[in-house]
Amino acid sequence: MTGRIFANIAAIAGIAGLALAWSAAAQAQEFGSPELIAAAKAEGRLVFYTANFAEVEQQVIKAFNKRFPEIKVEMVRAPGGQLITRVKTEAAAGKLIADVVDHSDRALMQPMADMFQDYAPPNAADYNPDAQIAPQLWPRATLVWSIAYNTELVKNPPKTWMDLTKPEYNKLTGQVIAPSGGTTWTRVMFERQVLGEDYWAKQAATRPVLYPSGAPMSDSLVRGEIAMGPLLYNAIYPKQKDGAPIQIFFPPEGAPVNPYATGIPKTAAHPNAAKLFLNWCLSKEGQTFMIKELGNLTSLKVPPAFPEGFDPKVVKVWFPKFDEYVKLQATWVADWNKTYGYAQ
Amino acid sequence: MDALASRRSEVTRSASESKRGHAWGGLWVTFLLAILGFLVIYPVLMLLLGALTDTNPVVEGISLRHLSVTNFLTVLANPNVAEALANTLIACGGGTLIAVVIGLLFSWIVVRTNTPFKGFIAAASILPLFAPPLVAGVAWAILGSPKTGLINTMFKWVGLDWRVDFYSMWGLVFVFGIYYAPYVYMFTASALRNMDPSLEEAAEISGASAFATLFTVTFPLIMPAIVSGMLLSFIVMLGIYGIPAVLGAPTNLAVLTTYIFKLTNWSPPLYNTAAAVAIILMVVTSLLVFLQQKVLSGRSYTTVAGKAFRPRSLDLGRWRWFTFGLGIVYLLVVVVLPSLALIVAAFRKFMFIRDVASLFDARQYSLMHFYSIFDNPLTLRSIYNAVEVGLITAVVGGALAFAIGYTIHRTQVTGRRWIDVISTLPVAIPGLVVGVAYLWAWIGIPGGLYGTIWILALAFIARFMPDTVKSLSTSFMQIHRELEEAAWVCGKGVLGTIRTIVLPLARPGVIASMTLLFVLAIRELGSSLFLYTSNTMVMSVLLLDYYEGGNLGKTAAFSIVQTVLLGVLIGGANWLSRGAAPSSVARTG
Repeated sequence: MTGRIFANIAAIAGIAGLALAWSAAAQAQEFGSPELIAAAKAEGRLVFYTANFAEVEQQVIKAFNKRFPEIKVEMVRAPGGQLITRVKTEAAAGKLIADVVDHSDRALMQPMADMFQDYAPPNAADYNPDAQIAPQLWPRATLVWSIAYNTELVKNPPKTWMDLTKPEYNKLTGQVIAPSGGTTWTRVMFERQVLGEDYWAKQAATRPVLYPSGAPMSDSLVRGEIAMGPLLYNAIYPKQKDGAPIQIFFPPEGAPVNPYATGIPKTAAHPNAAKLFLNWCLSKEGQTFMIKELGNLTSLKVPPAFPEGFDPKVVKVWFPKFDEYVKLQATWVADWNKTYGYAQ
Repeated sequence: MDALASRRSEVTRSASESKRGHAWGGLWVTFLLAILGFLVIYPVLMLLLGALTDTNPVVEGISLRHLSVTNFLTVLANPNVAEALANTLIACGGGTLIAVVIGLLFSWIVVRTNTPFKGFIAAASILPLFAPPLVAGVAWAILGSPKTGLINTMFKWVGLDWRVDFYSMWGLVFVFGIYYAPYVYMFTASALRNMDPSLEEAAEISGASAFATLFTVTFPLIMPAIVSGMLLSFIVMLGIYGIPAVLGAPTNLAVLTTYIFKLTNWSPPLYNTAAAVAIILMVVTSLLVFLQQKVLSGRSYTTVAGKAFRPRSLDLGRWRWFTFGLGIVYLLVVVVLPSLALIVAAFRKFMFIRDVASLFDARQYSLMHFYSIFDNPLTLRSIYNAVEVGLITAVVGGALAFAIGYTIHRTQVTGRRWIDVISTLPVAIPGLVVGVAYLWAWIGIPGGLYGTIWILALAFIARFMPDTVKSLSTSFMQIHRELEEAAWVCGKGVLGTIRTIVLPLARPGVIASMTLLFVLAIRELGSSLFLYTSNTMVMSVLLLDYYEGGNLGKTAAFSIVQTVLLGVLIGGANWLSRGAAPSSVARTG
């Protein structure tokens, strides 16, 4: 009897020990092999091209440097359209400086997939395959739409997407224009496919103020130039965290989600540093940081956390179908421009 | 016989000398044209190619197979382009009108009257030059927004039922006018200072009133300076992005620059369309330049001759306090109000201001935006890079502009008209599109120009060449030929004449032009956007990043840093050159 108990304990201890050893090894492997880490440190730097907001990415770089202070990340930030032109032109001239290219518009990135080297993070199997458009490109950041309002100005706040069409909010709402990029195109597609063919017309009838991108719109919301509107959660959450008079919610009809496409060009001069940086960003630690501090979602199958106010039991995330995402863009954006009276 | 032989030999010698001079002249023109070809023609050809095809010339290779005018015709038929063009002409036309009135008025007050504290007004008149357009736009958005503007908040507090709305064409015209008045001021002030007062005295002796003299003698005499200043301010307004971007966006009021920016910013970007719109802008500007040439040609505006004089100053009597008051009002509107707005935005945690009580609530203020910009390593780097680019641009660009200006206005070499036309071309190309054209043109050049600070400097030199050549030429045009001829007669060569006569006389103009170039280079945004890399980030790009990142506080804080820096640098340069150059930058503009 005692023997059996002993054996059990020994077995459990053995398993536990194994598990411990395994988890320690996993910890070491989480960001890459010791060889990769050593090679990355030897390179010492990498150049990071991104379409995301510079300030947001500055925080990501800072968090990465807490883990790997030896590697300097130099960032070039440009709006989506300009970034693509720069990457294409540099690549064609054989002068692509980027070690990592990070873009919000997957439709623009997919035709360029061959430019990128084979790469997969150590936790590749944990990622939702639907979020990937090519084996070389990974959803480093996954952004989600929400609705935000200024609590000083709105006494009777909206609760749904449909509320944004109410005449009582005439001239109080703001909208980011459909042609601004991949994330907005996702939202616009969601509105037409889920909220109805006439949603744009009804919303446009309230005469919203149009913004070229989410950042100036979130600033206008804080200042009170507009009172409410749809915003990427990560564009407005940091302001709420700092104490701005803002309330954010995820509407019940659904929350459109846009994964980025991020890869390492074949020509990268610092490929190991680039891999280590992406490995960290895509790791549980990196994704958790982006969720908690920046208000992103994740494309991991099992999310390690959720942003504040996001209840996974209630919020229905909505991913666009990628073939439609590519196919419908030109005509639907043109329709949107017409409906909202936006000159293109 | 002897005398005849020696005369003959003299004739042959002078003939061979003139042949040699010809050869040197030809070589010199070829040299300048080669530089201009690289800096201007090649990028413009790339732009034309872009406008007439639907491909990126670097990616798809330069091929004429896709050449068609379809792209161009589509743009011409687009009603949005027509609307943007109309808005542009109204905004810049109105703005220029205001700029001329203000610029001329203040140059007259400063140079020709006994208004008290003239130096102070002179300094105020050029201060707006330091403010990058984006900063000016942001400041006036904070002040003049119809919903949250501080001016409206103040009106409400005082109990007045007035409202201002700067998110409109009127707002745009007003802000354009007050910010570009310094261009007119710079030209007219130096012309007024260098003018021979004997003509005015003659008018007065003939019984004309001071007022009549002003409009019948003084202003007509400095007409080239007025027209140049007017044209330059109009053209500069044509190319400004920051002000219409901030003030026009909320009401969807598009001008050509914001339209072009939109085209490059959309996903997918429409560069070829942007290039086609840029061609339209080039045509408009070329027409203006042609018009100016037409107006100024065939008249003599020489007022600086080899005679000593002092500009007269008019005794205004009690009215001098009125002109002083005008100076104060201008200072208040152009400097104090926008600076206050920026200071509030930079130090305030959030820009939601319910009422005046909340505006003065000390708990709302902190240094957090300054901490956060200096926490970003890019901030210091961008400052260092911007100053470096500014210095290179000012020195190299100033020297090149001097060479070009002198060749155009003071020599008879064949091909100088071509140099004139080509060096004026860049004026017509908006910075943003020029950036793409330079990227397309220069990225393939072996030797690794791309990714260095020099590609930015070269782009700025090319882009601001017309401004620099124009402002330098004004000072050439006023130096009478007789002074140079005197030097020739005394046996000086061309270079000797330039060194001993032209350079010293034109020095105030040269220094002013270089300072202008430095300021323009530090502020330049559009052409930097495509040419900077992680190592060569400059201040203006970082400022746009802060603005586009939706952070008014950080944008304002960084604007203040930038403005103070420019002020210190220019003040320092001014102070340093005080001993060497009697005409300081603040005085000449």
